[in-house]
Amino acid sequence: MSAVIVARHARTPTERFKDAAWVAFVALLLGIPMVGMTTVDQGGALVVTTRFGVLAAFVAASFAGRFAFRWVMDQYRTRRDAKSTTVKVDRTAKVVQVLGWGILGVALFLPAMYSDNRYVVDTATTVLIYVMLGWGLNVVVGLAGLLDLGYVAFYAVGAYTYALLFTHFGWTFWEALPAAGAMAATFGILLGYPILRLRGDYLAIVTLGFGEIIRVILVNWTELSNGPNGIGSIPRPTLFGLPFERNPAEGEQSFATFFGLEFSGMHRIIFLYYLILVLALLTNLFVSRLRKLPVGRAWEALREDEIACKAMGMNVTNVKLSAFAIGAMLGGFAGVFFAARQGFISPESFTFSESAIILAIVVLGGMGSQMGVVLAALVLVLLPELGRNFAEYRMLLFGTAMVLIMVWKPSGLLSSREPTIRLAKASAMGGQK
Amino acid sequence: MKKTLIATAFLALGAQINLAHADLTVAIAGPMTGQYASAGDQIRRGAEMAIADINAKGGVLGQKLKLEVGDDACDPKQAVSVANTMVNKKIVFMHGHWCSSSTIPASEVYQEADIPMATVSTNPQVTERGLKNVFRIMGRDDQQGLVAGEYLADKFKGKKIAVVDDKSAYGKGLADEMAKALNGKGVKPTLRESITAGEKDYSGLVTKLKQAGVEVLAYGGYHTEVALILRQAQQAGLKLTVMGGDTMTNSELVTAAGASADNVMFTFSPDPRKNPDAAPVVKRFRDAKVEPEGYVMYAYAAMQLFEQAATQAKSTKFADLEKAMRGGSFKTVIGDMNFDAKGDQKKPGFVVYQWKGGQYDYAAK
Amino acid sequence: MAYALQQLINGLTLGAVYGLIAIGYTMVYGIIGMINFAHGDIFMVSAFIAVTAFTLLAAFDITSLPLAITAVLIVAIFFTSAYGWAVERMAYRPLRGSTRLAPLISAIGMSIFLQNMVQLTQGARVKPIPPVIEGGIVLWTTPDFTVQIAWTQILIILVTVVLMVAFTWLITQTSFGRQQRACEQDSTMTALLGINVDRTISLTFMLGAALAAVAGVMVTVYYGVVDFYIGFVAGIKAFTAAVLGGIGSLPGAMLGGLLIGLIESFWAAYLSAEYKDVATFAILILVLMFRPSGLLGRPEVEKV
Repeated sequence: MSAVIVARHARTPTERFKDAAWVAFVALLLGIPMVGMTTVDQGGALVVTTRFGVLAAFVAASFAGRFAFRWVMDQYRTRRDAKSTTVKVDRTAKVVQVLGWGILGVALFLPAMYSDNRYVVDTATTVLIYVMLGWGLNVVVGLAGLLDLGYVAFYAVGAYTYALLFTHFGWTFWEALPAAGAMAATFGILLGYPILRLRGDYLAIVTLGFGEIIRVILVNWTELSNGPNGIGSIPRPTLFGLPFERNPAEGEQSFATFFGLEFSGMHRIIFLYYLILVLALLTNLFVSRLRKLPVGRAWEALREDEIACKAMGMNVTNVKLSAFAIGAMLGGFAGVFFAARQGFISPESFTFSESAIILAIVVLGGMGSQMGVVLAALVLVLLPELGRNFAEYRMLLFGTAMVLIMVWKPSGLLSSREPTIRLAKASAMGGQK
Repeated sequence: MKKTLIATAFLALGAQINLAHADLTVAIAGPMTGQYASAGDQIRRGAEMAIADINAKGGVLGQKLKLEVGDDACDPKQAVSVANTMVNKKIVFMHGHWCSSSTIPASEVYQEADIPMATVSTNPQVTERGLKNVFRIMGRDDQQGLVAGEYLADKFKGKKIAVVDDKSAYGKGLADEMAKALNGKGVKPTLRESITAGEKDYSGLVTKLKQAGVEVLAYGGYHTEVALILRQAQQAGLKLTVMGGDTMTNSELVTAAGASADNVMFTFSPDPRKNPDAAPVVKRFRDAKVEPEGYVMYAYAAMQLFEQAATQAKSTKFADLEKAMRGGSFKTVIGDMNFDAKGDQKKPGFVVYQWKGGQYDYAAK
Repeated sequence: MAYALQQLINGLTLGAVYGLIAIGYTMVYGIIGMINFAHGDIFMVSAFIAVTAFTLLAAFDITSLPLAITAVLIVAIFFTSAYGWAVERMAYRPLRGSTRLAPLISAIGMSIFLQNMVQLTQGARVKPIPPVIEGGIVLWTTPDFTVQIAWTQILIILVTVVLMVAFTWLITQTSFGRQQRACEQDSTMTALLGINVDRTISLTFMLGAALAAVAGVMVTVYYGVVDFYIGFVAGIKAFTAAVLGGIGSLPGAMLGGLLIGLIESFWAAYLSAEYKDVATFAILILVLMFRPSGLLGRPEVEKV
């Protein structure tokens, strides 16, 4: 907020009324061309129809909404001001820890609670894919501070690597997983190298361009990727060689026959869910270990001040490339899982809006916060799903929610971050900066 | 607190499913939002009308039908999510999805849950994977492309033909088949190009066509781009005849391209609006201010297919329905339906149409 | 040769439209350092307003062409500026002073909102208007090719040149321009000097939206077809143009727009149209490798 200190006094009704009237006026201006009028196709030519009733309702709703909002905010503020004398102890770290274990507990038992509900388990799987992608991108954006708008490229590289390795060489999920990770990491370095000198938003547009390049190539290089038709019949992962199929191949056993269970599609869904849960937890472990290693600290140092890093004799090139490579590798793993779960991939799954959602998860969560990513992924995946009840208003609400959450918590849902390392005692040098 | 919130969220998701089901639930799925939302809109209107009509007659097997609408926005990932929702809602029949790239992954989910589906997706892959639950009430790209290509080769002998697609699964499939059919007839296309759908400027392509002296454009893709190409061709002083696929039925083409839409031909199943049996339904649609174009009647027909199959089978169990659908013959507003072993129409019967003064009609034979 | 000339005209027209939108990006970036992802959708909103306005005019039988276009321009600029102002006030101003990425995400949310709002209120179908200006001039006739320039193409290029000159004057010569540039350099200092920073930023957004409105009207006249999805592609292209020219630089945005228009035209004309976008982005990456702040951007001074 601005640095100006505003003396607060209780708002008079007139002030409130004026404020709400101003908002209603703006709503009227915005509403006239969009809400108040629309063009309808009548026999091959457009005709303007007016909806002034709806417009009036819209303006009235804006007025009432603003009036109520201000009133509630004022009440809240007065109460907060009254309370502000008490010293608040920051318990966020503790809460986050408890929350983390809580969510993990729910995550572990979720399939048991919903063992006959494939929608819930499947949606939870989607959430976990985004959590994993978010943690991967968090390395690049949250830790190393490099803005990446083309993260979906690595996701695509991973997915296509598995699909192609299977169709041409018959590799299984478990064989392709490390290969796809390595492939994605290579692409990460490939992208990272030419743009090391770029900063901030120049980096953003180049990564965006890189994502688009990969997608356009996938669409057009039909011989390699089967173009817009995509690649289908990608096999599902197996559990130690046991497939989840109704009719296993001759002389082989499936998961159901091996354990003497009746075949059910749910077995596979639940298996996939636990698989991505394990992959995601491993990712989390991996990233939190990395943060404690020199390279992790170097990333965070780079984010805070690149010039200082150079002055300290750090090899900035390697630090940046390692962030790109590791972020890309994690994206590649998620891609392999995505291909295996969908069984069908096409370039349409890897558009810019996907990158935007993943970035939104990282930023909404609070940059660099692992737990924040989980919360943000939950919010951003569940919102459109819950919104299915609102039919065509679904994406409208989604967009609104994104803006509102950002305005409400500009530095993310969980912004306070534990320092990665702490000095044992306050050093003689004093505080930071 | 947040934990409870999340738990509540999941519970809320679960609660949707536990609603009592006294009625039979059928579903449609397609792009209700996003770039192709106008197609989704057609499907919804057609299905809603059909359900109302069927329920007015007493429903299916004494039970009323209830319609569920799924929005996949033509995104394969959302399509799978929609499919799972529908499985949980215990639907007995699905009409959808619309985009081939959504239909393919979603069909696997329906297959596992034993739900029959009737789709209008035209990509050959949809029925080539040996899934027993997939039925296609529309022709395939290869059949459609063959009809269009041969028509061009016969009618426009000696003229220069360009084959262009929009890089979508649908458009490219169609254009490839048209090129194949042309080559089969010994006609070599002058140009083979691709454009990016969703852009507005195709003046580069138009200039290229003009330079090459192309008079006929065989186009695989959606009507929006055709309208823009025609408009820009007119500005550049180039007269083009266009041959397209079933998406050209959309009247947006005429509004957008104006008079030059008269040069557009396309292949489509025999017009349901010309089917005398369908006349009362057509009239009811027009009374409700819905032009029964494009996919409206298909959605209506899909619901009729379910109604008749269920009545014949006297059951809504998958095995019975599947047997009835594969074996039977159904009278619908888009004509008689018979399915072959793959689930494709036995007689897709594509016909070449031409736009004329804002209406389309069979093109000169 | 004639063919190349025709493609040059196509490329320049396309580039001019990109340039107009890119200036909006660049001005906003210059003053608050954020990528306004919703800018492409503001452009889309203006195109819809233009369609409604044209249809209304046709209903009132106003056929005088200059009058009609001027009227539509004024209406579109007025309402679109209101949208520009409102978007800034609601989605970006509360985020001033927070992290650099917060407004970016809020902008992405705003972009989703605007797209779906228009789809809901105006419908998902494409909106066509009948050709407003028809015909053109034949520039050159060779035996196998006739080079034509349409009146609409001339109009677009003319309007762009005029606006370019006007905006350069506005930014370099007027007191608002000085305030705007002062805010760019140091907003705290500017505030201390008694300039209303919030007001300056709001005005900048409105000006950016006004330019997008002009582009929206031009696109409606030129292509005649509008749908709620046009903002996305145009936005990405214009953003690329702004960066290529050096983000924050007005002539840079124009130059970037023209370059991208030309690259797209000529690549599609002589090579494969499929890899047109790959070419655009590859050239962008190449340029940035050698000039990390774009063609006309001032190199950032790094302070310790």
